[in-house]
Amino acid sequence: MRAIYILIVVAVVLALRIFLRQRRRQGHRRDATSAATSAEQAGPSEAVDDGRASVAPRRDGFGSGAHLGSVGLVARREVLERVRGRIFRIGTIIILLIVGAAILIPKIHSNSTTAPQKVGIVGAPDPTLTQLVRYSGKQSQTAVQMIAEPSLASAESAVRSGALDVAIVNGDRIIVNQPFSANSSSDTASLVQVLAPELGVLHAYQQAGLSLQQIEHVAQARAVPVQSLQATPVRGVTKGTSVIGVVLIFLMLTQYNTWILMGVMQEKASRVVEVLLAAVRPAQLLGGKVLGIGLVAMGQAVLIVGFAFAVSKAVGSDLLHGTGPVLLLSELVWLVLGYAFYCWLYAAAGSTAERQDQVQTLALPLSIPILVAYIYSITVASSGNPSLLFKVLAYFPPTAPFAMPVLVGLSLVAWWQFLISVVLSIAGTAVMAWFATGIYRRAVLRSGQRVSLRDLRNRGPRQSAPRAAVGSS
Amino acid sequence: MGGLLELEALRRTYGSLVALDDLSFTVPSGQVVGFLGPNGAGKTTTMRAIFGLTDLEAGVVRWDGTPVGRAQWKRFGYMPEERGLYPGMLVGEQVEYLGRLHGMSPNDAQSAAQKWLEQLGIADRAMSKVEALSHGNQQRVQLAAALVHEPDLLVLDEPLAGLDPAGIDAIGRVLVDRARAGCCVLFSSHQLDLVEDLCEQVIIIDHGRLVVTGTVDDLARHGARRLVVRVEGDRAAEWTRTVPGVSVSEVSGGAARLVLGDEVDSDVVLRAAMAAGRVTQFTFERRRLSEVFREAVQ
Repeated sequence: MRAIYILIVVAVVLALRIFLRQRRRQGHRRDATSAATSAEQAGPSEAVDDGRASVAPRRDGFGSGAHLGSVGLVARREVLERVRGRIFRIGTIIILLIVGAAILIPKIHSNSTTAPQKVGIVGAPDPTLTQLVRYSGKQSQTAVQMIAEPSLASAESAVRSGALDVAIVNGDRIIVNQPFSANSSSDTASLVQVLAPELGVLHAYQQAGLSLQQIEHVAQARAVPVQSLQATPVRGVTKGTSVIGVVLIFLMLTQYNTWILMGVMQEKASRVVEVLLAAVRPAQLLGGKVLGIGLVAMGQAVLIVGFAFAVSKAVGSDLLHGTGPVLLLSELVWLVLGYAFYCWLYAAAGSTAERQDQVQTLALPLSIPILVAYIYSITVASSGNPSLLFKVLAYFPPTAPFAMPVLVGLSLVAWWQFLISVVLSIAGTAVMAWFATGIYRRAVLRSGQRVSLRDLRNRGPRQSAPRAAVGSS
Repeated sequence: MGGLLELEALRRTYGSLVALDDLSFTVPSGQVVGFLGPNGAGKTTTMRAIFGLTDLEAGVVRWDGTPVGRAQWKRFGYMPEERGLYPGMLVGEQVEYLGRLHGMSPNDAQSAAQKWLEQLGIADRAMSKVEALSHGNQQRVQLAAALVHEPDLLVLDEPLAGLDPAGIDAIGRVLVDRARAGCCVLFSSHQLDLVEDLCEQVIIIDHGRLVVTGTVDDLARHGARRLVVRVEGDRAAEWTRTVPGVSVSEVSGGAARLVLGDEVDSDVVLRAAMAAGRVTQFTFERRRLSEVFREAVQ
């Protein structure tokens, strides 16, 4: 059944690749056909130039989306340009491969079947000893095969030659070929680490004169239950899943915010912003860009999470085992809210720069709150003991996207606390959007040096139109 | 189509620099109007002000009597001095996209983009990325982007800069055609001979102020009369010294370019030239736009 799931996942990925490739080829063929038709209609005077095709703009380009407003059109362009980009497609495939490998490799490793440990028994047959060896094999998750050895010499010889992994001599001594290091994790070491104390206990019982029934009775002893006075928190998810969630939120926020930063800077550097702002409002242009990149980000996030779950379910991996829908939903909600909060900040910063080096100067200070929140959240997710400060940061919009999912993962927040944090984050995003749009309006048309905050404070006379730099003439 | 662009008392300063100083002029529809001025005169700032891309401390821009706003800007086309296109975007899609942003329907934007790319001779590059095009072809794409929504007003900042003669002819032809179709066309250029050929009217500004405006014909007729006279055997035009009221503005290749005083009779000049030798050229010359420009911004 699992093999079928794996095959389905592989087939879907391959089909997607083939579909995209064929679509590209069809596009080229359609372009060539259009070129030929165009050349025929135009006659010799409009013959194809330097071997390139004369073509109509692609139908799946910006001609569709009939009812989109300015914001929708800008967003649509962002989505198409990003998704078509080779870097995005290759990057997504690499991420999927890494996620798939992270799930499959541990599973393959855990499923690998090893040869049973061959245990030689020297001495008279003893059902209690046989039962004990089987019990130890089960405890150490090691298959065992018992072989009767006629003498100590033959057992030692077999252990030395590798025919036996372990030999038990008269129920009170264990022989192995090589001594084990303290942290050895081999199957033989695991078996012996369980077997040796159990044999010691059995030997002690026998020396104490216990009957076989008494020994079995003692062996079946169970620990008494421990009752705590405080209610035990319901840990619906593993710490590992919380950590993975925080890491994914960090990686995605960093990537998508960098897109915003670079995109705004490039529009300013190429001066296309001047043409665009002659047709649309600054808020529409910025809103469309933020929305478009946000849609791509969410699409990629959903694809990655969906792929991880599909592969995990297909192979029966326990990597995401125990991850409840609550944590998953929480992480997606905070990825959206985190993007919504930070994208405005990065857009405003991008509008003050028009060169790569200026962007790099801006990127570090901008990433500090994200980095601090990320490192703190990872630490808390690993320890499982949030401090009061961390709980407070879960309500602070810049840090909430990291802190709140960790608290959800640790089952330390009620639904209304989660809701309060969401409301505060939305309010913070609204303030940030207003602030960033103001900076964007004033900075994006100023060319030359990087625009400083001091420049932005020195506002000119108010006007509904966007602000501009000193004209070149 | 058709309308009147009015700029009234525009003022814009940048610190101590006065970019626009009570600047007023009008641009009628159906004409190609040249917008001239030396570097730093305020041309680009004026053009940006038309699109609300710069703050104005005073003044108003009107279209057909209405202060311009978002609705009017949607019907204007703009080609900035520093070309603005997405370098990595396909040419056809880029033009189509800008048409959509100006309110065109998907089908109209697509067919208009195709039409203008064909008209400007770059339809074969519709599927190329902008960055893969030559400077001249990028210029044509930029013009197509300004024209795609068939604007009522076309404002072009240095559209002819850096173009080869074929490119200048192609773009010049389009500007004249748009004006004939009733569009209001305002463009700036430092190539005064081209402006003289293309424009019916010119506006010259300096230090943010209007200094000269009028039709090319009127400006050419005003001022002193000019003669070009060529006399065999007198390459230095020594004979002109014998004619009072005549000054030589230029001697080139044996031809003397003369400026006649108001009282000078051209017959007297002709007789003096014939007395000096065989006259092979005797031509009245219009005042050239470059001369008008130099006089205006001195």
